[in-house]
Amino acid sequence: MIRLALPKGRNLDVALAAFRAAGLLTGLDLGSRSLRMQLPGEGIEVLSLKDWDLPLYVEHGVADFGIVGSDVLAEVDGDLLVPVRLREGRSRMSLIGRGALPAAGSQVRLATKYPNTARQVLAGRSWGAEIVELSGSIELAPLLNLAELALDIVQTGRTLQENHLVEIETVAEVAACLVINRASFQRHRALLNDWIGRLEAAEVVV
Amino acid sequence: MKISAALPIGVAALLFESARRRREVEGRLVSLFEAAGYAEVILPILDYLEPYEALLTSVSRSELYRFIDRDGEQLALRADFTPMLARLLAPRLGALSLPLRAFYRGDVIRYEEERAGRQRELFQIGAELLGVADDSAEREILRLFLEALNGEDGGVLQVVLGFAGALDHLLLEAPTDDPLALAAAVARRERGPVRRVCPRLLAVVESGLPEQPEDLGPVAAAALRRLLALCDEMAAAFPHVRLAIDLAEFARHGLDPRLTPAVGDRSYYDGVVFRAFAGSAALPVGGGGRYDTLFRRLGAEVPAVGFSLSVERLMDAAAREVAA
Repeated sequence: MIRLALPKGRNLDVALAAFRAAGLLTGLDLGSRSLRMQLPGEGIEVLSLKDWDLPLYVEHGVADFGIVGSDVLAEVDGDLLVPVRLREGRSRMSLIGRGALPAAGSQVRLATKYPNTARQVLAGRSWGAEIVELSGSIELAPLLNLAELALDIVQTGRTLQENHLVEIETVAEVAACLVINRASFQRHRALLNDWIGRLEAAEVVV
Repeated sequence: MKISAALPIGVAALLFESARRRREVEGRLVSLFEAAGYAEVILPILDYLEPYEALLTSVSRSELYRFIDRDGEQLALRADFTPMLARLLAPRLGALSLPLRAFYRGDVIRYEEERAGRQRELFQIGAELLGVADDSAEREILRLFLEALNGEDGGVLQVVLGFAGALDHLLLEAPTDDPLALAAAVARRERGPVRRVCPRLLAVVESGLPEQPEDLGPVAAAALRRLLALCDEMAAAFPHVRLAIDLAEFARHGLDPRLTPAVGDRSYYDGVVFRAFAGSAALPVGGGGRYDTLFRRLGAEVPAVGFSLSVERLMDAAAREVAA
């Protein structure tokens, strides 16, 4: 028995499409509201977890492997293996504001739900800075002057356009990643390598 | 006034039955070490920071509880036994007869992020063998390590072996100007970047071993052959333990200065290195390896191999097996 953790939210559809393209998890029915599902034929148990909790479950070996966004992974990174990233659903982590970047020497407030990434982004800049940690609707912060800049995920950029905001600088590419617990990889190496091989063969990963 | 029974995060009191159980495990391990000819050393919980400055990475530095003593000296709580033992033995080696077999037990204290399962105070027990340069040291220490772990019924026991510098040749030959980033990608088993930069490392990422030992260059190839033989020997002696060589697992343990990260693993291991995971939750329960250069950095020339175990994690693994 091996345990797979799937994320709730936008990465779920991306993950399921990738697995199914590779001929995996075909017997999985996510119609129910169950948090734990057995796939006896495949020897797999599937857990449904929130993105931000998922790396912790995998790090502790409660789940052996899972799918989680690299944005979240960079924030709560334990010591996980990250063999492949999914091709679909990729987006960007970007600095967002109403115009250009503030001049060197400015005092900048940066609104984000990614404080660790924000710290790294700020480390190389010549600003005095403050991180304003929010849990959603980050775009409102520069719009309403809670902060000069926001650090958030940009997918199509439409929300930004509609709110007269600009994607000033791309900080990182964001993708859903396959993550594996180190010890689980040792224990289930044949099965996990088989899955990764199938995902690669189906060309749904990079 | 009502007095709370709460403790600081990351520490625990063992009361009655859990204390008895801890002492029982500890007692069994001590008997095992003594029967194997190892003598106990008792080390202080508090020490000067200065002797360790050169050994600290920024990660291990941030984990230390450091403070200034009344007379202005920088002190630190013990976070690792091996460097402390090495520092205390290095100046005394001339007066000691080698090989020297020592074991220790006690708490190590580290700042850890406030997350489940991250204890700040960990009870460790470990053994060190000094003065043996050939493979018989690794054989003796690994055997003792496996015997120590095997005595606890913690479910599946998994031991991963590798050696420092195994991938140096491949990493430095690869067409990249950032071999450290490549080493990190191998350690995380990221196939994309490894395939793009150095396809010959792909076999290591997938299976833990190169397609053939020669891929590693002559020195590492010979070391891999010796390790394969040692692994086979241990697998025969401990059929219930799942032993495997996995060089990707230790990809960050480079020996070449170009592959020594400024920030990274806490590692003074410069030869064979191993880690064990126990139970269905695969808890990391201990590890060890060869660390000849640690003594050299402290001014003494003596080969050394050792390991440490986390007794609480072992007990935790056993308890989870019972519950499961």
